[in-house]
Amino acid sequence: MKKTTLTATILLGAAFGATAALAEYPERAINMVIPYGAGGATDISARTIAEPLGDAVGQPLIMANVTGAGGATGSVAVQNAKADGYTMLFARVGSHSVNPAMKATLPYTLDDFRFVTVYEINPVACAVTPASGINSMDDLVAKVNEGGVSYSSSGVGSLLHLAGAMVLKEFGVEDPLTAATHIPQKGGGAAATAVLNGTATFLCTNSSALASFVANGQLKPLMVTTPEPVVGFDAPTANDLGKEKLNKLVGWTGIAGPDDLPDDVAAKWGEWMATATQDAKFNETMSARGSVIELMNPVDANAFIQGQFEIFRDLVDELGMRIEG
Amino acid sequence: MSLFDSLIAGLSLVASFEAFFALFAGICIGVVGGAIPGLSATMAVALTLPFTFSLQPITGILLLLGVYKGGIFGGSIPAILIKTPGTPASSATILDGFPLAEKGEAGRALGMALWASCTADLISNLALILFAGWLASFALSFGPPEFFALILFSLTIIAGVSGESLLRGALSAMLGLLLATVGLDLVYGTNRFTFGDPNMMGGLNFIAVLIGLFAIPEIIAMAWNPTAHLGKARALGKTKVTFADYKRSFKSIVRGSLIGVFLGSIPGIGAAPSAFLSYSEARRKSPNKENFGKGEIEGVAASEAGNNGVAGATLIPLLALGVPGDVITAIIIGAFMIHGLQPGPMMFVLNVDIIYGLFIGLIVSSVFLFIVGSVAIKGFKFVADVPKRILMPAVLVLCIYGVFAVNNNIFDVGVMFVMGWVGYVMMRHHVPAAPFLIAFILGPLLEDNFRQAMLMSGSDPMILLRGPITWFFWALTVITIVAIIRGIARKAPAT
Repeated sequence: MKKTTLTATILLGAAFGATAALAEYPERAINMVIPYGAGGATDISARTIAEPLGDAVGQPLIMANVTGAGGATGSVAVQNAKADGYTMLFARVGSHSVNPAMKATLPYTLDDFRFVTVYEINPVACAVTPASGINSMDDLVAKVNEGGVSYSSSGVGSLLHLAGAMVLKEFGVEDPLTAATHIPQKGGGAAATAVLNGTATFLCTNSSALASFVANGQLKPLMVTTPEPVVGFDAPTANDLGKEKLNKLVGWTGIAGPDDLPDDVAAKWGEWMATATQDAKFNETMSARGSVIELMNPVDANAFIQGQFEIFRDLVDELGMRIEG
Repeated sequence: MSLFDSLIAGLSLVASFEAFFALFAGICIGVVGGAIPGLSATMAVALTLPFTFSLQPITGILLLLGVYKGGIFGGSIPAILIKTPGTPASSATILDGFPLAEKGEAGRALGMALWASCTADLISNLALILFAGWLASFALSFGPPEFFALILFSLTIIAGVSGESLLRGALSAMLGLLLATVGLDLVYGTNRFTFGDPNMMGGLNFIAVLIGLFAIPEIIAMAWNPTAHLGKARALGKTKVTFADYKRSFKSIVRGSLIGVFLGSIPGIGAAPSAFLSYSEARRKSPNKENFGKGEIEGVAASEAGNNGVAGATLIPLLALGVPGDVITAIIIGAFMIHGLQPGPMMFVLNVDIIYGLFIGLIVSSVFLFIVGSVAIKGFKFVADVPKRILMPAVLVLCIYGVFAVNNNIFDVGVMFVMGWVGYVMMRHHVPAAPFLIAFILGPLLEDNFRQAMLMSGSDPMILLRGPITWFFWALTVITIVAIIRGIARKAPAT
């Protein structure tokens, strides 16, 4: 109980400190909001970068998971925060390109945020069970045309949801929404389980989420969306199959602040990230999980996210996947 | 490699001071974390996770497992002492644990919670070691239709925890089902009952609802009538659990452990439903059924066996399939991957030393839990001696802090207070809170699995009867409902 009181006092102190005027940024701890739950891809990525990043910043980073509604709850918390650079968000492909593209009633748009960096790219892979008898994308498409194929996702408006439809569309399935059934699950782990136990036929998700199933021979990869092959995935790349457009279908993690974040703050983040991503241990941990470290400065990051968002939005419009209400 | 070689390899991996210290420290952290309302076992594990990054794989994982096991037991301490489950899994423990504490038998209830927890833990660990492969393949045959049938059956628990009036219990359950619909629709992604508030999009926070429903009504009642409790003996107790108690409850403990093992090995259910199921089974089989809910030691034993029985078994899908069974194991699987370990069938071939190291660590953890738990009980049970007028404000502060900390969101604190008033009104009208909670947990699972099953079959309801597992649970459901109706019919002429 004593420990709790102490923590509460510290928190209270931090709250009072928040009213102090901005001198040399940063002069106090920075709140970092993780909009997804502990142990997930975003959380682990955020906590791995936090260590070298904290050293580069020279101030503590206070990591807080604010979860719910596919990342929307945490994103709104930062959208409404003061743009002083002391409340920043770990943005993710789901919360900041798929969801804005798909959900009409989302309480924020991309314009409400200023991205200071994207530091990690996650290739996307599609996989089936070996028992399904499907050995290539062609087999899968043939099966889809026969009917009765379904794919799982971690929920409506997730990367997995969009990825399943986008991949089928690129491979010539005219109307992927009716040709294949989307079976949403709650979370990425449940989505993989659904393919394992035969509830769904295939799924397309970050290669890191599939790595252990592929290594264990429980799932068979059909394709990866990056131009380069992914280590441990014995499957052709999208480019091998002549579908360069799928290169845009990748996961990413970045950092964002509210849209009126000052230029000098954004520039500072650019410098810190350049230092932090040099850290050897960070690189080792991230590559072990199948991520590609790719650092983008604030300008490139905004352009990258905007570009991906537009492709997704056009696809959503074309297929009529927008969620209204 | 023979079993013996594997054991030796595992032993050489864990036989270090560091590994056992990590396990022990983990259990201590877990018991304390679990005992703080709102901090919950899940958060204790999440907070410990970053510390394991720099440790040896086996040491880090044992640390997390220690926190997990300690947390699940620790949650029962505030459940018994102040009617606030420290972790959702211990909500069932309140039903009989708190009445026992009110009678001045807090020490006995806590002791039984510990004994039942450790026994269930041991059974669960043995099940993991001996039957992992078999249970894992069984778990994999659970698709949405099987889940639907299982959860439908589990809803019959409501009859078991409704107390005096089944009608009031059903009302409470309806309310729980209704509130569980708030949030995003699973299949269409549309907003349901969110009233345009982004905070509602994620649904009502489970911990906020839980604490609001159980702890806050007590505090409101205390504020309403500050002297009501005076004159009632609450002084603690020196009472201890006796071996006779344990022997009497042993059957329920074993049954609860097996329910825990079974539900734990199926990904996606978690410890709270298991504890409630174990409790309602114990009540159904008990000769002094009437005493359940009024301070029956066997009720505490059954609930704690039910939730700790899950703890070892959730590692079955994790290790054998690489699939996390609940939120906590999802965090633990993250720790495996950070260290480049890939849980799944191949791990039993490639990293067999780590697997056996974990098994050895797990067996030892039951013993450690007993030691740490005994010390914790000695320390915590004096809480029961603190005068209510001092205790209650402190509980209120803890609840607010804990609920805020779950999601760093002040909105959740609001949810807690609103639910507190709902709970208070329910309490005044003798509407039991437990059915509400069960419905709130199981409602979304029931709905999601039903809709997933319908998506699978193209809306053909026959899929809900697709195999022996579904038939089994449908049959159980029908038998239970018939038994409940007969029970009512028999009672009716008497009154």
